[in-house]
Amino acid sequence: MVKVLLFGAAADAAGTRQLELRLDNAGTLHDLWPLLESQHPGLSPMRDTLAFAVNGEYARMDDRVSPGDEVAVLPPVSGG
Amino acid sequence: MGALVSAAQRPDCGAVSTFVGTTRVDESSGASVEYLEYEAYRPMADRKLEEIGAEILDRWDVRHVSIVHRLGRVDPGEASVAIVVASPRRGPAFEASRYAIERIKEIVPIWKREVWSDGYVWVGSQVGTRT
Repeated sequence: MVKVLLFGAAADAAGTRQLELRLDNAGTLHDLWPLLESQHPGLSPMRDTLAFAVNGEYARMDDRVSPGDEVAVLPPVSGG
Repeated sequence: MGALVSAAQRPDCGAVSTFVGTTRVDESSGASVEYLEYEAYRPMADRKLEEIGAEILDRWDVRHVSIVHRLGRVDPGEASVAIVVASPRRGPAFEASRYAIERIKEIVPIWKREVWSDGYVWVGSQVGTRT
């Protein structure tokens, strides 16, 4: 399983702040996205605005994700 | 803020620059922002703030950096972020504090929403519950 955390507008769009996705083998974020999107289609419209982190560090779509990892879905940051 | 400045003062530094970001609300007709609410992805946000401090120490002759960001509810006009930089000279102190706030807005996973009387809006995503 992969733990997925959602923040800000992404949490609203998904209707949850945390979920688990079944991932039996290591894949990439690119592989994970369709699983997430199929469970939470509300995320689709904001796809192009989202950044991702794996285990607390920014990650690209071709970066690896393995069972046990924590993936964060990050809308455009707005601190300050 | 006073404590942050005191902690930055050192005999080898002739400049302490401070930047305080405060919550600005733009009024529009019919409704108004009641407060702002910040949330963060911790501990990644803490680590990114530390990274910004390390970048500053690496790039400028700066001897002290502190950055504090509030989370949760912040009322209009209140401080949401404070940056304090000490350097032997004023130039690096000014430049580094400017750099810190720009980097915060780029890389630190913190989000704010404006809570209006009739719903809220996520700043940056421009989506929310206001109709």
